[in-house]
Amino acid sequence: MRYIIFVITLLFFNIIHSQTGLISGTVVLEDDSPVINAHIKVLGTNRSAISDFDGKFEIDKLQYNTYELSISTIEADNKKVSINIDKEYNTIIIRLSKKMNQLSEVVINGKSIETEKETSGYAVNVIKTKEASLRNIQTNDLLNTTVGVKIRQNGGLGSEVNYSLNGLSGSSIKIFIDGIPSSVYGSSFSLNSIPPSMIKNIEVYKGVVPGHLSDDALGGAINVVLHKGSKDFFNAAVSYGSFNTIQASVNGLYHFDKSGFTIKTSLFNNYSDNNYKVSGRAIVVTGLGGVQTPITARRFNDVYRSTGGMAQIGYTNVSWADQFFIGVTASDDYKEVQHGAFMTIRPYKDRFLESDALLANLIYQKDDFLTKGLAININGLYGSRNRTVNDTVAAAYSWSGERAIDFKGDEYEYTWGSQQEGGPTLAKIERKVASIRTGLSYKINDHHKFLANHSYSGIDREDSDPLLSLLENTFIGTRDLHKNIYALTYELVTLDQKLRASVFGKYYHQKTISIDPAIAQDENGNSIVVDEVVSSNNKDDGYGFVTSFAIHPKLTLLASAEKAIRLPDETEVFGNDGDNVVANTSIRPEKSNNYNLGFRLGAFNIKKNQFTVSSNFFIRDITDRIGLPIENSLNVDDELIVYVNQGNAKSKGVDAQLNYSYKNNLGLNFNISRFDLTTTTDAGTEIDIPNTPFFTMNGSLRYSLKDVFQENTRLNLFYSLYFTGEFSYLNIPSGVGGADFFKVPEQISQDLGISYAFPDKKTVMSFDVKNIFDKPLYDNLRVQKPGRALYLKINYTINNY
Amino acid sequence: MRRTLLDFKTLTLTALTIGLMTACSSDDTDTSTETETETEAGTEDETRWITVAGAQMGDEPGDGNGGTLIYSVTSEEAKDPSVSISPFENGFTAPSNRTARLQSSEDGSTIFNISYAGDTGGTYTKYLVEGGQTFTQSGTEVSIEPYVGTAPRWIKLFDGDKTGAAVYVSTENEIDDNGTEDDASDDTYIRTNATIGVVTLDLENSLINNFQEHSVALTDEEEALGYYISRIDMPVLNEAGDKLYIGARLSKLDPTTTESDSDYEILGSKTIVLDYPSLLNPSVITSTVGYGNTNGYRSINAFLYDGSVYQANQSDPSGSHILKIDADNEYDDSYIFNLDDALGVEGAYILAWRPAANGKAVIAYRHDGSEEGVAGAQGFFALADLNTKTATRIDAIPYNADFYLFQYQGFVVDGNEIYVTEAPVGENGNIYVIDTETGEVTKGAELVNAEGSHFIGTF
Repeated sequence: MRYIIFVITLLFFNIIHSQTGLISGTVVLEDDSPVINAHIKVLGTNRSAISDFDGKFEIDKLQYNTYELSISTIEADNKKVSINIDKEYNTIIIRLSKKMNQLSEVVINGKSIETEKETSGYAVNVIKTKEASLRNIQTNDLLNTTVGVKIRQNGGLGSEVNYSLNGLSGSSIKIFIDGIPSSVYGSSFSLNSIPPSMIKNIEVYKGVVPGHLSDDALGGAINVVLHKGSKDFFNAAVSYGSFNTIQASVNGLYHFDKSGFTIKTSLFNNYSDNNYKVSGRAIVVTGLGGVQTPITARRFNDVYRSTGGMAQIGYTNVSWADQFFIGVTASDDYKEVQHGAFMTIRPYKDRFLESDALLANLIYQKDDFLTKGLAININGLYGSRNRTVNDTVAAAYSWSGERAIDFKGDEYEYTWGSQQEGGPTLAKIERKVASIRTGLSYKINDHHKFLANHSYSGIDREDSDPLLSLLENTFIGTRDLHKNIYALTYELVTLDQKLRASVFGKYYHQKTISIDPAIAQDENGNSIVVDEVVSSNNKDDGYGFVTSFAIHPKLTLLASAEKAIRLPDETEVFGNDGDNVVANTSIRPEKSNNYNLGFRLGAFNIKKNQFTVSSNFFIRDITDRIGLPIENSLNVDDELIVYVNQGNAKSKGVDAQLNYSYKNNLGLNFNISRFDLTTTTDAGTEIDIPNTPFFTMNGSLRYSLKDVFQENTRLNLFYSLYFTGEFSYLNIPSGVGGADFFKVPEQISQDLGISYAFPDKKTVMSFDVKNIFDKPLYDNLRVQKPGRALYLKINYTINNY
Repeated sequence: MRRTLLDFKTLTLTALTIGLMTACSSDDTDTSTETETETEAGTEDETRWITVAGAQMGDEPGDGNGGTLIYSVTSEEAKDPSVSISPFENGFTAPSNRTARLQSSEDGSTIFNISYAGDTGGTYTKYLVEGGQTFTQSGTEVSIEPYVGTAPRWIKLFDGDKTGAAVYVSTENEIDDNGTEDDASDDTYIRTNATIGVVTLDLENSLINNFQEHSVALTDEEEALGYYISRIDMPVLNEAGDKLYIGARLSKLDPTTTESDSDYEILGSKTIVLDYPSLLNPSVITSTVGYGNTNGYRSINAFLYDGSVYQANQSDPSGSHILKIDADNEYDDSYIFNLDDALGVEGAYILAWRPAANGKAVIAYRHDGSEEGVAGAQGFFALADLNTKTATRIDAIPYNADFYLFQYQGFVVDGNEIYVTEAPVGENGNIYVIDTETGEVTKGAELVNAEGSHFIGTF
């Protein structure tokens, strides 16, 4: 145990005459990082408070007196300090020393703060959502500014998102919501719709994923941690802005102190017309003969709406459970589709997607379960989710939003009878989903700890299309997927806490079942429909280690590695009738050897300046990539195309991050990420994989002012800069002409924001301007993103009512 | 050289202007006068641009997914083995997200492109060939995407570089539910309706000429068994210029389950016949000689010669045939030209081909005995005679297991000479010029390859 330091700073503002005073304090660790969720109790009274994301707390209306404060938190040793209240406004900074076993605590409770996670050895970033939740910022925007993360979104609010971590993307990256794969929830309850105010923080694990996030995440995982805890609060927010975007959310928790009975609810609603302006080579109207006139068009079929919520009842902090909740999650969304993967001269009209989910959930968490040192954590989900695609309009529309005319000048309909090529559809996918995650950890002593985790997720999928005949629907196969993943982790803390290490092994078992109706004869020779059931088992294992070594109190080295895999999905195993892809039940998982080596320098304090620098070098080496074989004369007319393990890929690069602050007023964050994503030919040549934004930088600046206009207020000013380097859809060698056609140009966007916390400490108002210079922003495949946009938001929060 | 280039520019512009107005195809039968016109309008020498095209590797050798690169040389340079051509180093990338389907004017002075897939999929552009990597876009853009989608199957018609035609087919199953909507057991499959769309494009003025769509039926028996037209391609004009023939691929589903069938009897080769230029009155003609598809792949699959259209077929169980459609717009089932028989191989498969005006043709093919190379079956060139129905492998061209012709697209016909490219995937090769009259093969300019890439022809 280290010795305890505490510093009491008293600042005098003015002489006042009232008989009660207010304590405004900050709880920090020795390195000045804030302590979140510390419980501060004024001994001898019934007054208490809980520190927020900046470690700040307030307790008001204390009679002038000398009090003793008791501070307790899971991160640090408990502590008592005394304070003399002799004026209206009293400030205090309380420094705590870190707990010996905090890494253990981190894993069991998932409750740590970013610094702790970021020095645990993983290449991890923990994104705080507190500040963003008060501003007009989407959860995805937050992720996009995180070092090494690139979000590629096919348009505005609610449009399809692809996450890339250190160059790996698509199904290599798994998204979790409280440790449950987000695929269980579907698109209606996703990072597109969940407001930041529902989220406690977001953990981004790059390359090496801890055992408690069990899934076949080849390139990393993003875990969205929703609010937990037993602190009473109520929060409501509404935001309105450009493109008729309205976003509202309500979150609340009420805890009965005596019984421990707790009620928790969250609701959200998002709506946007997404009718932003687009222009460019495909944005034209066509006249007689097909003559094209370029225009600047407003998107007219891009409405997004999502509504959802979560309600839970249970008990917190009772003898038999730290947390026990049962509840329900319901969500529903509607998204119009303006165009296909690319923006072409043919905008879609009235094509839309709908999805909904209704799931029951269960959470149970208990430390010292049965015996001291044993902790249990169960999170389960069961329900159904559905998705429909609606595309039945054959009429052609132009980018003007009006009916398009053909070469003769007549309004016309598409040959394929729908907006997207492929014909009219009302395709519906119904899924029954279940997922349960169980974690057990046993701490032998302060040095050794074992963790066992299991995760099951199952999806029964049924497809149908009311536009098809019953006969056709009858013979559409169903696909079931059952995935069991086991992980065993050993954690070691030694050398006076300087060395933290863990090793883990993971065992993956995936069973995919294809049920395909077929015709057979019964005893009487009549034709009957029978189900042909084929199942495929994929088993594999992975392992890895994570280590951090503090060679100096200000310098920590971090190294981690994992042999990660991605199990083939149902289409890769069983094919897809529509695309003439047939089953390959012997397909193997994709494998990747992932390595991270990084350091964290700081925090250095020079007078009132504080800064931290961290960096990570990474390699992802993928083999057995799954893909379709190239078309050739032997298979061009073949119905027998199968997915095969054929390729490889390698991503090498570096992430770096700088945090700087001056007093508590000025904060600066800058990060840079650069990598090479290549594939190696049989001859050993490395070829760049195109269509990859490989160079990104983000910077943000925050300046905080107190007591502007009125006392007890806080004004924050924000500025952010996003840079994405030029990249090309195809690799064009230098010296070859015509390369400009394929380039996605360099993009720079700047945002400004202001937020004002009113003296009641309950109301915060924010105004944000996105893309202030209205620069063209592109995303994947040159799809244009919104230009300048303005948003206003009001938040109302009550803590400890 | 600079002086020469200027001359070529003048020549090409002149040839373009005049050539476009006066059909000057060496494939047309009645071309003697026009050929003279071209010569007169041309220059003292008989040079023309030869544009070499290569398909760059995406991530697998031979996949051709890394872009289509083109580079132009004069026909003299093309014939000169001391000249090296490196489109992968200093060519021009055709603006197409996936492999471009290129066409050239008959005199080689203009390259026509319709972008395949991506944001500009379906957009038509033309380029003046000015030598080397210089291809200057000319005229305005027009898109056929609203008619035939972002991945159009198009071809230039042999009407003096005036017209391009692109086609599309979509299918829908027709089911009789026997009046009981909720009972699948008494439902019966009737047929699969194939709706074809055909668009014609004015290549000179970048305008849409015409578009028509039709439901195209097979015979009742064929439809009852579940056969339907699943892909169409390779439109070609008859000699009279009043009918358009469109190649077709047939697929079959199982009528009891409406799921795709894989092992079924291959029907006689079929072609859709439409009135031209009205694009009306579709009918389907069937060969009793050849079986299998007539939609080709990326290279023109049917040509007019001596009053008849000669069409290759693919996936024929007895080896590819060259089929003949006569002036009466019916298959001439007395014309039997089987490549297996002519070459003495099994399972010959015509990947691409091109006749000269003399009825002699160069055929790119593979057969069952082809070695399996890095990107698929090894390809060969043969010299064939449409009149004598004979073919012989061209042995003066070197072959290699990695010499792969599946994506092969382009042959330049210059009089009786046909220019081809030969280079195994990732290896250097040469242009070869075949004198179809004498069978003499001239080794031309060296083709400098890049790893995993291959050449897809001359234009």
